[in-house]
Formats: sequence, structure tokens, C-alpha cells
Amino acid sequence: MSNENFRRELNRAFDGMSGQPSPTLARRIRSAVAQPPAARSYYWMAAAAAVVIAVLLVGVLFVANPLHRPTSNVGGPAPSPSASPSASPPATPSPSASPTQASAPFQCGTTYGPITQNGPAVAYVSDVRTGSHPGYDRITITFGNGAPTSVEVKTQTNATFTKDPSGQTVNLRGDSGLLVTIRGADEHTTYSGSTDFKTGYTKLQEAQQVQDFEGVVQWALGLSGNTCYRVYLLTSPDRVVIDAQTGT
Amino acid sequence: MSAAVMEQPPQILARAAQGDQDSFSELIEPLLDPAYRLAAVMLADRGAAEDAVQEASVKAWRKLRQLRGDASSLRPWFLSIVANECRMARRTRWWSVIKVADVDAQDRPQPESYSDLHRALLRLSPDDRLPLVLHFYLDLPLDEVAKALHVSPSAAKSRIYRSAKRLRADLTMEEVF
Repeated sequence: MSNENFRRELNRAFDGMSGQPSPTLARRIRSAVAQPPAARSYYWMAAAAAVVIAVLLVGVLFVANPLHRPTSNVGGPAPSPSASPSASPPATPSPSASPTQASAPFQCGTTYGPITQNGPAVAYVSDVRTGSHPGYDRITITFGNGAPTSVEVKTQTNATFTKDPSGQTVNLRGDSGLLVTIRGADEHTTYSGSTDFKTGYTKLQEAQQVQDFEGVVQWALGLSGNTCYRVYLLTSPDRVVIDAQTGT
Repeated sequence: MSAAVMEQPPQILARAAQGDQDSFSELIEPLLDPAYRLAAVMLADRGAAEDAVQEASVKAWRKLRQLRGDASSLRPWFLSIVANECRMARRTRWWSVIKVADVDAQDRPQPESYSDLHRALLRLSPDDRLPLVLHFYLDLPLDEVAKALHVSPSAAKSRIYRSAKRLRADLTMEEVF
């Protein structure tokens, strides 16, 4: 088949597919062009409205936090104290298990928080435990009825702390320290375990409760060496987890 | 027809771009026939083809100021809008209603009168038919085909040849161009 034959047969096939346009097509198009553009922008306006509504809905849900999920803050400088909670990591029944956050970065020598979150007027401490793991020593403070409203961790270059309200000075094991302050909490109503752990770990050498008064619970942590640590606020059960990095 | 468009004084294009509907109609009406043929071949549905041309015309009217070049650029520019409309129409049909014409084109046994070439053409995808329509049916020169496809002239040539080879495997480049 020559070029001309090929072209001719192709055009015949195209003719068969297309036929002739309607004689009214040009008039239709003149009429459509003459329509005001506002009528044609209906779909764009509807789409824009849908986007605005979706953004507003997400914003309202984010701010209102209907599920009252506490924030899961992992290490690092604290966000705004009024930061809204986000999705929590998976439950970790034992303080020795933290499969999902093990690689979170540590912060050294800086204050954490205070982080505020939704919770009951008083969060009752139900358990305090310590543990040693590859790369970090851990203390976990668990609450039985919801998360405490505020958590703060401050570092210090010695292991000397002041008990409140007695004002008594205590020297913990180690040569540096972390002071964990939990507001909106109570440790004497439902917790009857130890308030002074002399752990024998390489990093977290001692953990002692130094305040449980007027809704404020403080734990002093005596460390050896640098104060590199990270904090998790976890749920199911609600708990504050502090890891002190070993090898520093 | 190409010559007719090119002979339009630039003032008509300028007036149309400034919002003069009569000038726009004067420019676009000579292009409606090729635009319809392009849409009809791509969509295999004459009603849908007219709808696509109408929608493309309205878009061209609203975006005429975006046209770069002189009146000779109008035809490939408009045909590329028509081709886009056809693609959108096919996507819309995917989630709405399969029209009888589609079923006909895809599933119905082809009439005996159809040539092998006609049947092969129906088996091509609309995007493969597009360069063939532009080059063979609408008789556009290679540079206008390239503009309509938004590719370089050499890429346009390659696409035309590739589609033509799908119709007839033994075609040589010399037979196509």
C-alpha cells in the first residue's frame, strides 16, 4: 500500500467515525460563549466551599479534641504549653517495653516543658517503676485515672535536691540530676510503693520522690555524667516515661 | 482553512482577546469543523464530540489572552484544548455512565464493510489516534501537530509514525511522511 493509498483509506475510516457536525453547532457555541462566566464557575465555587468546610472541620476537631487524647511528646524542646494532643503511640504495658519510641532522640542539658494536656483535676499515681535497658535507664510513673495536666523536667549539674514542703536537702546518688515536676497529681492516695529507688544502674542511680503536696508530685533523679534524656507522655495506661541516656 | 485563519488580520485576534465575542466567533468558527472531527474520532461518540467542542470553545474564549504567538498559533492551540476536553470527557464517563456508543465501539462485532485499517483504528487508544487525526485527517503540518501535542516536532513525528505502525506493522517512515 503506497503512502497515498494508506492516507486515503485512513481518511475514509476517519470519515466513517466522525460524520458531519450538526449545523447548529456554531450557533450553540455562540450562545455558550455569550453566557456570563459566573454561571460556569459554579463547580469551582462548590469545590472551593468544600475545601473551606473540610479545613474548618479539621481545625475544629483538632482544637476541640473530642476524644481527649493526651499529647504524646517525645523528647525535644517543648511545644507551646497549650499544644493540642495528638494520636498516642501504641500501649506499652510494661515500662521496660517501648518498641516504637526506642530511637527517639535525646536532649541534653535543656528543660522539657512544662507540657500541658487534658486530664482530670487530680491524676492519681498508681505505679512507679525503674528499669535498665541497652542505651538508657528508665523511670515510669503511671496514673490510674487519666493523664496529669502538666509535666516539666529540669536538669541540674548536681544531685542535690530540696524536699517540699519540708525544705530538707537531700543528696542523691550520682553527680547530676533531673527534677520531674508533675502538676495536677497525687501520689499518696492510690500509690503505696517505694518513694526512693536506689537502682544501681550505670546512669539512673537513684530516683526519689521529693514532693507530693497540694497536687504537685516531684521526683528527683540522680544521674551519673551528662543529663541527656527524653520524655514520653503515653496512654493506655496514662504514664510519664523518662529515659536517661547511658554512655554519656 | 489554514490559510483562511492565517489571513485574519491581527486586529481580530486583538479585539477577541479584549472581549469582543463577534471577533472571537469569526476566529473560531472556521476551526469548528476540524475540532469536531478530532473530537468525534477521539470519543467515538458524535454527541459527546459536539459537547467537547462547545466546552473547548468556551475555555478558549476565556483563556484567549493566554494564547502566545499570532493567529497562526490559534489552530493548534484550540485543537489541543479540544483534545484535553476529550480526555476529560472520557474520564468523566469512566465514573458516570457507559454510553451505548462506547459499548458499540468496544464490544460490538465490527461490520463486514469495515476495512482492516478501520478495525485497527478502532482498537487504538484515543491518545494514539490523536497524532494520526491531526496529521492525516486534518492535514496539519508537522510543526502544528507538535504544538497541538505540546511536544517537539521530532517527537511529534515519532508519535505519528509509532501510531501508524500500530495500524500497519510494515509501514516505513517514507510511506508515512
